Amino acid sequence: MDQFLQAVINGIMLGGFYAAMMLGFSVIWGVMGVINLAHGEFIMVGAYATWVLNKEFGWEPFYALAVVLPLMFVVGYIIQLVLINRIVDQPHLVSLLVTFGLAIIIANAMKLAYSADPRLTETGFAGAWELGNVTVPVTKTVILGVALVIMGSLWAFLHRTKTGKSIRAAAQNKQAARIVGIDIKKIYALTFGICIAITGAAGTLISPTQAVFPFMGPPLTLRAFAITALAGLGSIPGALMGGMVLGLVESLIGIYVSGIGTNLAIVSAFVLLVVVLVTRPQGLFGGLRPMEEAQPL
Amino acid sequence: MTVLADVAARPRGSTGRKIGLGLLLVFLVVLPLGTNIEGQTWVTNARLFQFTQMFMLITLASNWNLTGGFTGYVDFGHAVFFGLGAYGTGILMTQQHGIQWPFWAAVLGGAVVAAIFAVLVGFPTLRLKGPYFSIAMLGTFVAMREIIRVTKPVTGGGVGLTLPPYLNRALFYYLTFGLAVLVVSVMWWIRRSEFGSSLIAIREDEVGAEMRGIDTTLHKITAFAIAGFLSGIVGGMWAYQNTFIDPDVVFIESRTVELVMMTMLGGLGTVAGPVVGAATIYWLRDVVWAAFFDWHLIVEGALLIGIVLFVPTGIVGMLGDRSGTSLQRLWGRWLGSRDRPGAGPDPPRAAPPQPQGPQGDAGDEP
Amino acid sequence: MKQRWFNAFALMVVLTLVAAACGDDSDAGTEGQETTAAPATTAAPATTAAPATTAAGTTAAPAIAGTIRIGAAVSETGKYAREGKDTRQGYNLWADWVNEEYGGVNIGGDRYEVEIVMYDDEGDPDTAANLVEKLITEDQVDFLLGPYSSGLTMSTSAIAEKYGVVMVEGNGASETIFERGFKNIFAVLTPAGNYTQSALKLLSDQGAKTVVVAYEDTAFPTSVANGALKWAEEYGMEVLGVETYPKDVADVSAIMTKFRDMEPDVFVGGGHFNDALLFVRAAKELNFTPDAMVITVGPSNPKFVEEVGTDANYILGPTQWEGTMSWEDNWFGTAEDYYNRYSDKWGEAPTYQAAESTATALALMAAIEQAGTLDMDAVRQALFDLDIMTFYGPINFDDTGKNAAKPMGAIQIQDGVINVVAPVEAAVTDLQFPMAPWTAR
Repeated sequence: MDQFLQAVINGIMLGGFYAAMMLGFSVIWGVMGVINLAHGEFIMVGAYATWVLNKEFGWEPFYALAVVLPLMFVVGYIIQLVLINRIVDQPHLVSLLVTFGLAIIIANAMKLAYSADPRLTETGFAGAWELGNVTVPVTKTVILGVALVIMGSLWAFLHRTKTGKSIRAAAQNKQAARIVGIDIKKIYALTFGICIAITGAAGTLISPTQAVFPFMGPPLTLRAFAITALAGLGSIPGALMGGMVLGLVESLIGIYVSGIGTNLAIVSAFVLLVVVLVTRPQGLFGGLRPMEEAQPL
Repeated sequence: MTVLADVAARPRGSTGRKIGLGLLLVFLVVLPLGTNIEGQTWVTNARLFQFTQMFMLITLASNWNLTGGFTGYVDFGHAVFFGLGAYGTGILMTQQHGIQWPFWAAVLGGAVVAAIFAVLVGFPTLRLKGPYFSIAMLGTFVAMREIIRVTKPVTGGGVGLTLPPYLNRALFYYLTFGLAVLVVSVMWWIRRSEFGSSLIAIREDEVGAEMRGIDTTLHKITAFAIAGFLSGIVGGMWAYQNTFIDPDVVFIESRTVELVMMTMLGGLGTVAGPVVGAATIYWLRDVVWAAFFDWHLIVEGALLIGIVLFVPTGIVGMLGDRSGTSLQRLWGRWLGSRDRPGAGPDPPRAAPPQPQGPQGDAGDEP
Repeated sequence: MKQRWFNAFALMVVLTLVAAACGDDSDAGTEGQETTAAPATTAAPATTAAPATTAAGTTAAPAIAGTIRIGAAVSETGKYAREGKDTRQGYNLWADWVNEEYGGVNIGGDRYEVEIVMYDDEGDPDTAANLVEKLITEDQVDFLLGPYSSGLTMSTSAIAEKYGVVMVEGNGASETIFERGFKNIFAVLTPAGNYTQSALKLLSDQGAKTVVVAYEDTAFPTSVANGALKWAEEYGMEVLGVETYPKDVADVSAIMTKFRDMEPDVFVGGGHFNDALLFVRAAKELNFTPDAMVITVGPSNPKFVEEVGTDANYILGPTQWEGTMSWEDNWFGTAEDYYNRYSDKWGEAPTYQAAESTATALALMAAIEQAGTLDMDAVRQALFDLDIMTFYGPINFDDTGKNAAKPMGAIQIQDGVINVVAPVEAAVTDLQFPMAPWTAR
C-alpha cells in the first residue's frame, strides 16, 4: 500500500511536469497548425539558461523564471518572425521538416556552446517530507506547484483577456477573425512567443531533477505529442489530465514491473500514443478544437 | 554525379541518355575490379564500402518513396523495417538458438519479418491521415527499439548480437548494387503499372479513388509491405557487413530523417528522385564533414530547412520531370476535399516553366 | 511565383556545383583531414629529435632508421567528441615523447620514429569501419590503435582481424569484444566485468551484506553489472534486486522507490554520466540511504562534484587510473609524473581515458621492442607474451587479448575530493563507511 501511494505521488509529480511541458506544443499546434518538432530543444534552452544563472550567478533556479520567461518569449517571437511565419500556411509536412531542421541546429549549437556534459542546477527547495513510509520530495512539489500556476495563468490569459480571446478566435476561424479586425500575423507571433516562454519555463522546472544536456529534447517532444493526442489540441484541462495519465502510467509500470519496469514505462508512452491516435483521433478530452479539423487552418 | 542527375532528369529517353545510363551502370559493374590494379589508391576496399553505403541509402530512399512519395503517406519511422530486417538476420545467423541459417536465407527471413510487421502495423496506422500517420510511425519506431531492448533472450538486449564476421567488400558491393538496381527497376515498373497509378490516385484524392472502386486499404498495405520487405533486406545486409548489432546502432532516428531529406532533395514521388537525392547527399556529406567538423550537423539542419523552403519539387522536379509531386501538391490535394478558405499554396499545375510540356498527373504518359 | 523559382534555381545551381565538385573532392576532403591531424606527429623528424636526445645526455644521438606508421580512427566530432579528444591527446603525447625525447622506438638497436595517422570516425560505426579499412589498405599503416568506445571497437576490430593487423586499444571495455575469438585485438584497460571488484571487496570487508544493482541496458553497463553480480556472489553478498533502464533515461524514481523498500546495504548503478546525476538526486529526494553507493560512471570525473555538490560525498566509483596511484615505469616515471607531463603539454589534467590511451601506445611500443622486428606475427606474439609495469598499472594480456593483470581502482568522494580507496596497493585514504544521511552533509 505504501509502495502504491509512493508510486501515485511520483506519478502525479511527473504528470504535473509533463502537463506544463507539453502546453506550448499543443497550443502552437492548435492555434497555428504548426507541429513544432523543436519543442524539446526549447525546453533544453530554457534549462541551460537556468543552469547558467544558477552556476554563474548563484540564482535559485525557480527565481530564474523571472529571466527565462521574458528571454524565451523574445526568442520565440524572433524565430516566429524569421522562420515560422514562412511555414504557417503550408502543409504539415513542411512544418515537421523545417522544425526538425531547427531542432538539429539548436541542439548542436548548444553542444558547441556548452559541450555534451550533463548539468544539474542546485535548488534551495530540497529535501523531503516523510508521511509515514511515504516520501514527498520538496523539489518536485514546488515544480508541481509552479506548473499548476503556469497552467492556470495561461488559461486565465486565453479566457479572460482580450488578446487571449483573439488568439482563441484565430484558432477557431482564421477568416472570421480577420474580418473582425484581428491582426493574424501579430497574433501568431504573440502566440509563438508565449508558448516558447512557457516551454522554456518547463526547462527551468526540470533543471534541478533531470540532467540537462543538448540532446535531451527528442524524448520530450515525443511525449508532448503523446499527451497532445490524449488531451486534444490546446486544451488546458486536457493537458493536465493527459499529463497525469502518462505520469501515473509510467510510474506504476516502473514500480510494479520487476527488472525492466523503467524500460516498459517508456514504451508505454508510445504505445499509448499509437493506440489513442488509432482509436480516438480527436483526443480523449476535447480541446481548443477537435483534432480532425485541425488540418486546414 | 552530374551524369546521374542528367540521366535521372528525364523520364524516358533519347538514345544519348540511354547510353549515358548504360555507361554509368557498366562503370559501376567493373569498378571493384579496380582493386586489382597495382599502384592506384582510388579504388580500394574502403572506397567500395563507401559505394556500398550509398547503394543502401539509394535502396532505402526508394522504398521510403513508395509510401511517402507515391502513396502520400509520410512515414517517420521507416527505419523500423531496416531494424527488424537487421535483427531478423542477426537472430537467424547466430547460433544461440541451435540453428544457424546461411546468410541469404537469414536475410530473406529478416525481410519477411519486416514485411509481416509492415502489414500488422500498417493495418491500423494507414487509416490515419497526414501528421498522425507520421507520428504514429515514429512512435512505433521508438517503441520497437525499447521492445528489442527488453526481449533479451531473443535479441541479446542492449548488449546486442555479434554476427560471424565476413568482410568481403566486393561481395557486399555487388549485393547492394544489385539490390539497388533491382529496387529502382521495381519502382520504375510500379510507377508505370496499374498498381502504381492506383497508389498515385490515393495520394491525389483518397476518397475519390475509393469511389472509383480502388481498394485503398489493400493498395496501401501492399505498398507498405513491399517497402518494408525491401528495407528489411537492406537491414539484413547492413547487419552482416557491420558484424555486430545493438538497438542503438540499428535504430537511429536520423536514419529515417536522412531518407526523407534525400527523397525530398531528389524529388518526392519520382523514380529517379531518391537515387539522385541519396547520391547527392551521400557525397555532399563527405565534403560537409571535412569542411565543417563541429558544424556539420548544424549545416545539415540548415540544408534540410533550405531544401524544404526553396526546392520543394526537388532536383528531378526542377529538371523537368513533372510526374512527381511537390509538398504543396501532395498535401494540398489531400486537403482539397475540405473547406480550406484562403489557405493556398500556389496551384501546382500552373507552376514551373518546363521543357517538355505538362504530363499526366498519374504518370501514365504515352 | 517567379521569385520563388529563381530562388530554387539558384540553390539548385549551387547544389549541382558542389555535387559535381565533390566526386573529386571527397578525396581531397579526407586528405585535408589527414594533414590537420598530422602536424603533431609528422613534425618530429631528426632535427627536433636531436636536441632532446642530447638533453638525455650520455647516449649518442641515434640515427633514425625508418618510420613506423600507426593508424587510428578516433572521434573528433559526434557523441564521443570529448572522450575522443582525450584519446587523441594521449596518443599524441606518446608519439611526441618517442620522437623528441626517447629517441625513437628501439628495434634491434635501430631507432624508428613513429607517425600516427588519425582520422575522425564521427562516433559512427560505419565511418569507423570504413576509416580503419582505409588506414590498412590505402595508408598501409603498420599497426592500429583503438578508437574510443566499446561499440566502435566492436566494428573496427572485425576489420583489423580480417586483415590480420594488430590493434591495441584502451577505450573499449565491453567483454563482448573479447568473446569473438579474435587474435589481433589487445586492450590495456581492465575489462568491464571487473569494474566493481575492488569496491565490492572493500565494502564486503566492511560488513556489507546485501546489494541492489541498476544498469543501463547497453553493452558496456551490462558487462559491468554482470561483473558486479558475479563479484557480489564471490564475496558472499546477497543480491536483493536488479533493474534495468534505457539509454538517456529521464526519471529513475521508480527504481529508487523499489530499492528503498528493499533496504539494501549497497547500491550499485550506472551507465552514463547523466544517470549518475539522476541517481544521486532521486536517492536524495526519496530519502534512500544505503550504507554505500557505487556508481560506475561519473564519480571519478571532477565534473560530478561540480554538478551535485556536497551530495557527491561518500559516493564510490571505479576508476581505471588516477594521477595519485602508486604505479611507476621506466618510460614516463610515476603516475604523478605522467599527470604533470600531460598537464604541461595540453593545459588540462589527464582523464583516465587519456592515460589509458598513452598506455595503449606504450604497450604496442614495448611489444615491438621485445619482438625486435616490425613483423606482424612476431609483434602479435610479443603482445601475448608481454608482462610489464607501466605508470598506468601492470599490463599482461591473456589469450583473448584482455589485460588480466590490472586491478580496477575504486575512488570515494570525500569532502569534495576524489580519493583512491582501493585496491590497497594504490589507495591513498581509508573508506568512509557507512554513508551519512542526505540531510547531514
